[in-house]
Amino acid sequence: MQVVKETILLIKKDLLLEWRQKYAIGGILLYVVSTVFIVFISTGDIPAPVWNILFWIIILFASVNAVVKSFVQENSQRQLYYYQLAHPIAIILSKIIYNIGLLFLLTVLTYMAMTLVYESPVRRVGLFWLILFLASVGFSITFTFISAIASKADNSSTLMAILTFPIVIPILGTLMTLSANALGLIRDTAYLNDIYTLLAIDSILLGLALILFPFLWKD
Amino acid sequence: MKSNWWKILGILLLLYAFLFGILTPLKPGLPSVYPINGQTGSTLTLDISGYNTHFDQTQEQRVWLKLDNQSLLASSITTTSSNQLKATFDIPAFLPSKDEVVELSLVTDNEIDGASVLPSAIFIKQTTVDSIKGQALWQNTSIENLHQKEGISFPYRNILRETIRNLYFHVSLWFAMFILLTAAVVYSIKYLNKGNINDDHRAYSLISIAVVYGLLGCATGSIWAKNTWGTWWTMDVKLNMSAIFMLIYLAYFVLRGSFQDEIKRARLTSVYNIFAFASIIPLLFVIPRLVDSLHPGNGGNPGFGGEDLDNTMRMAFYPAIIGMTLLGFWISDLRYRLALLADKLLDRD
Repeated sequence: MQVVKETILLIKKDLLLEWRQKYAIGGILLYVVSTVFIVFISTGDIPAPVWNILFWIIILFASVNAVVKSFVQENSQRQLYYYQLAHPIAIILSKIIYNIGLLFLLTVLTYMAMTLVYESPVRRVGLFWLILFLASVGFSITFTFISAIASKADNSSTLMAILTFPIVIPILGTLMTLSANALGLIRDTAYLNDIYTLLAIDSILLGLALILFPFLWKD
Repeated sequence: MKSNWWKILGILLLLYAFLFGILTPLKPGLPSVYPINGQTGSTLTLDISGYNTHFDQTQEQRVWLKLDNQSLLASSITTTSSNQLKATFDIPAFLPSKDEVVELSLVTDNEIDGASVLPSAIFIKQTTVDSIKGQALWQNTSIENLHQKEGISFPYRNILRETIRNLYFHVSLWFAMFILLTAAVVYSIKYLNKGNINDDHRAYSLISIAVVYGLLGCATGSIWAKNTWGTWWTMDVKLNMSAIFMLIYLAYFVLRGSFQDEIKRARLTSVYNIFAFASIIPLLFVIPRLVDSLHPGNGGNPGFGGEDLDNTMRMAFYPAIIGMTLLGFWISDLRYRLALLADKLLDRD
């Protein structure tokens, strides 16, 4: 119970920090919009399969950029202070939940920006929103945990990319299949299986993140 | 000597597996036949090529064309060489089938090579279809008294041929790699529990060798793919997953290189090793089974087993896996001792 209380408090703290330093979140959102616009200018009209690929590539890179700051935003003395106050599980859990929200905002904004410049090829809108949410959850768990490792090194943004990209590929692949389904590119009645696979991968990674994080923070 | 028995065992097993795997001949087989199509009511002379066969030394060579459960014996057979045979068939005017084009298999049998089959060897086109007349005209000779090939041999498969021996290299390398990686994860967990830096050295040495094994597994697989599928690399889920998997472990080395402090490095790489290992389990075992793949053992495709892996092959396959694993542990042990010596040198300075 103590952990839940601490988690909620830490999420509130993160939200407050974000509110006070609006430029950080504004920077990420601007990053998405300008990427979409660059893609639009350099491609013009694109067919649905290409839309699908570009959409997920933009989200992948924007998410890595958004999450990498999770553990480097505040200086290490402040981190140490939090570690004295809260349980490590509360710290990682609060970061993961906070990042789910951030990434969901980011994916929705990408979706809106893509819809604005291209005609939206999405046929099954409900399923697509579900996919967006699942993507935020999967990316958030993987990226948050890896950013905790990468933040300990000096060149954290390079390290972040090479450590996460291979690990996130199963999640990304499943998401792209699902989203091809929502776009009507493939007709697959067994898409529930894909969702279960995704949830299974997510829960394995979440479980490991919770078990392993207490070994990470002791600095 | 007493403590090194497993190293000797590993080398002996590998030597045995490779010698046995390379020297054992393949069973005789039928790679091709010419022509591959014919007409009803004609005399058809087939040029049959054999592989590892002894057509010119046999006394009682027999050749059949097989249609479902019925078969037609060749009217005359001439042998041109040990691997070449001409068989003449009198194809009746009607075939006992309702299809316009009928697929026939070729069966040969002699007392030295035993029986061999070439499935879907030739296609016969029927000018008019009448299965009842065909039934009457077809002189069925049942395929019986087949011979067994004597001596030890590996199965002959038309796509694989001699490359079937690659099983002992390619598959045993991947198996050994998995065992080494699992051992590395065990050492990583041990390190996080006890904090003994030597466990981290162990994990690192095991992963180094496992990555070399993985690269060799990729190379042998690529050569095999070139022979059987006709390409070095294809857009296949299991192949791509194994490439990703190599990327994960190469990233492990980069992560290791980015820390100066030994304790910090050991802790963070141990954590990453466990996390990465868990994330490749869905990569290599779950996802490939959900999608179609060329590679054996995946969606709709049977594993390399059943008819392809017989007991003779198991006699070399299992020792090869064990031998390769023991060799991996040996090399990683050397790597580990090197790390210990380096530590000692650093401490003295």
